[in-house]
Amino acid sequence: MKFFLRRLAFYAITFWAAVTINFFIPRIMPGDPVRALIAKNQGRISTDAEAALRVLFGLDAETSLWQQYLDYWALLLRGELGISFTYFPTPVLEVIQQALPWTVGLVGIATIISFTIGTLIGTAVGWRRGTWADSLLPISTFFSSVPYFWLALVAISIFSVTLGWFPASGSYDRSLVPAWSWEFVGSVIYYGTLPAITIVISSIAGWILGMRNMMVTVSSEDYVTVAQAKGLSERTVMLGYAARNSVLPQVSSFALSLGFIVGGTLVMEIVFSYQGIGYFLFTAVAAKDYPLMQGIFLVITLAVLLANIAADIVYGVLDPRTRQEG
Amino acid sequence: MRKNILAAGAVLVVAGLAFTGCSADTGGGDTGTKVLTVGMPNGPQQENQNPLATGSASLSLGYAFAVYESLMQVNEIDPTEAPTPWLAESVEWNADSTQAVITAREGVKWSDGEDFTADDIAFSIQLRKDNPELNIDFPDQYGDITVDGNQVTVNFTTGQYVNQVKLYKLLIVPEHIWADEDAVTFANTEMIGTGPFTLKTFTPQAVTLEPNEDYWGEEPKVAELRYDAFNDNAGLTTALTSGEAQWGWTFIPDYEQTFIAQDPEHYAQVAGGGFGVDVLYLNNETKPFDNVAFRQALNMVVDRGDISQTAGYGVWPEITSVTGLPQPSGDAFISEAYQGEELSVDVDGAKQVLADAGYTYDGDKLIDPDGEPVTFTLTNPSGWTDYLDALGIIAEGAASLGAEATVEPIVQDTWFNDTIPFGNFQASLHWTDGGSTPWNMYSNIMDGASYVPLGETANWNFGRYRNDEVTQALATYKAAASDEERQAALDVVQERFVEDVPGIVIWSRPAVAQYSTANYTGFPTAEDPYANPQPTGPQAALILSKLTPTE
Repeated sequence: MKFFLRRLAFYAITFWAAVTINFFIPRIMPGDPVRALIAKNQGRISTDAEAALRVLFGLDAETSLWQQYLDYWALLLRGELGISFTYFPTPVLEVIQQALPWTVGLVGIATIISFTIGTLIGTAVGWRRGTWADSLLPISTFFSSVPYFWLALVAISIFSVTLGWFPASGSYDRSLVPAWSWEFVGSVIYYGTLPAITIVISSIAGWILGMRNMMVTVSSEDYVTVAQAKGLSERTVMLGYAARNSVLPQVSSFALSLGFIVGGTLVMEIVFSYQGIGYFLFTAVAAKDYPLMQGIFLVITLAVLLANIAADIVYGVLDPRTRQEG
Repeated sequence: MRKNILAAGAVLVVAGLAFTGCSADTGGGDTGTKVLTVGMPNGPQQENQNPLATGSASLSLGYAFAVYESLMQVNEIDPTEAPTPWLAESVEWNADSTQAVITAREGVKWSDGEDFTADDIAFSIQLRKDNPELNIDFPDQYGDITVDGNQVTVNFTTGQYVNQVKLYKLLIVPEHIWADEDAVTFANTEMIGTGPFTLKTFTPQAVTLEPNEDYWGEEPKVAELRYDAFNDNAGLTTALTSGEAQWGWTFIPDYEQTFIAQDPEHYAQVAGGGFGVDVLYLNNETKPFDNVAFRQALNMVVDRGDISQTAGYGVWPEITSVTGLPQPSGDAFISEAYQGEELSVDVDGAKQVLADAGYTYDGDKLIDPDGEPVTFTLTNPSGWTDYLDALGIIAEGAASLGAEATVEPIVQDTWFNDTIPFGNFQASLHWTDGGSTPWNMYSNIMDGASYVPLGETANWNFGRYRNDEVTQALATYKAAASDEERQAALDVVQERFVEDVPGIVIWSRPAVAQYSTANYTGFPTAEDPYANPQPTGPQAALILSKLTPTE
């Protein structure tokens, strides 16, 4: 029990530190939201508008940084995140609520698919090392080292523009109104397919490589030799003995990658005009939209922390050694 | 300003289009139902239909302008043309433009059936006066607003000659809905307006509108209007070139090949005039630009044709008048003295100007009268590729004079917060406010009223040009009561602009729009530029009223 309590205290401190950094970093950045907005419009918003915008964003009053920091904690403890500048007067919470399911849905599923397929392929390749199967490695590594936006644009160019198999942009047919109907759900799946495939292709190499290398190491362990000597079927030895032991590090990096799903999909969202949290983060940073930036950073921090906690617990359960007192 | 690593990629997508050699089918069954799709590159939206607060979805995508209407319609490409009455039958100004009398149109109804009256106009203007958050056009400049019958009298605390158009463009909202709401935060999900369309559905990535059956004007012929949000210019470019979106505006590099060539019969890009330009601000208070001869000489060797073609991909028109005024919008404002005088590259002439001013040569190197070699730095944010390309061409021009110019890309935020306002640059490109007269352009470049010493925050006149005659003339232009007085003031300004070269105008930046006539036709064309062609402005109501289906 003491192990878990100690971890909990550690996470509480990490959370406080993360929130504090999230608060200060955007404010240390040079620039302010009003100038960013005027710059974005390059002459289409007259400079006369500057005063009006300052009042609108609540930037006209002089509040000390310390007071703003206390206000921010007060907001957080009430479960609020403030009001976005860019999407004034929408609360940040609503912006995130609207965007997050799309990112988690698409990238989450893509990550699970990538992990599953990658681990299976890695198992097979590692088991049959030195055969033609090894040629999968350079191929998959090639796709993961090509810049993602390039890969995605090539995919759009071929599959959407030339062949017309998939839509080039959007997260569902724009003539539909979101509803729990087959038509809408089908449209979401159809529109998500190409982005998901590109994510899988570009990220699968890591899973294959990680699993394959562990398989190679584990295959030479004594217990694998023993299992083979007992006359167990090749399949049982591969999956039940070698793969089962090799998969542990995969699980921990999987937990971590789940945490990063929330923040790490900006380029996909831009290239495919997919609505999601990464795009909002990008907009918020460009527009110096402090409340929105903080809100999204907070969600990302929470996601990474939660994933870490999950990984910690799973490890604590799976591997008794991690629980032992020093 | 395209700070986007994806721009290169957009070209790739379009290359894909070019390979297929045909335009893709319009997706989603649009063709049968004849939906007119407007595309905007502003990303997914939040449900906020407020047409007054900057940043709402309705303003960002532009559908506010199909639901709400303005007082008058102005044609920005021909600013001398009288405005077309819209929700106002007329707007009469007094001689010094401090008072406007607005006559409300009769027989207009709000889309919920209530009558539109002069009270709605007065209320909508009062909202701006009472809420500084919404008052982006006339900050602290409204006086009393009174209603008498169907006439509204709006007083201003200063003369508004150069801002008249801003009053014409104000959107009018219904008092019976808005009176009980906080106008700043009201999300306005119902959208009761007078315009040709009413809101049908809102989703974060697409908003649909249907025709307003009780519209006061001619019944709109567009069966359905849809505003699609794309996440960036590349996404919108793909949508426009594939026909998925049929109206929008974005910067398309090499638009003739990438866009128009995909369907020359239907696709078009038109420019809408206006007075917006991009200017190379020259720091008039530091070397080498504190010497007027060098400013003149540089102005004579800047190849504006090359800048417009190469750096602007032919999208931004070349400036040809020596007065720096964009044409045709500026035609009526060019001084008698400079009619027909055109800019051209003249290296020998420039060298002569320099020689006359005491500049000498050491080999190929230009030496200033103090005996030092002439060098300077051209600065702009990195990633603003069109500006940086233009700077490169300017540097080549300087090299032809023997001056050593280097282009230095810097961090955008530094440029905004340090470089530009404090004058920490030698030469840097910046835009000007559009405005509806040449006043904004000249004032932004050379108005002594905006002068502050180096190191203090300047709002305009970043180059620190100071000439009392010009300052006076610009003030006169704003306050004058007759056209003759105004032109006389403008003559002074233009003379100083041409002779003193406070800054170098590199190209004009008109309102550009792309559209496809596959489903509907009647958009402004190069031959009949009856309005600013962009969908995001009060002119949208006018353009929508002129669209007819094509078979």
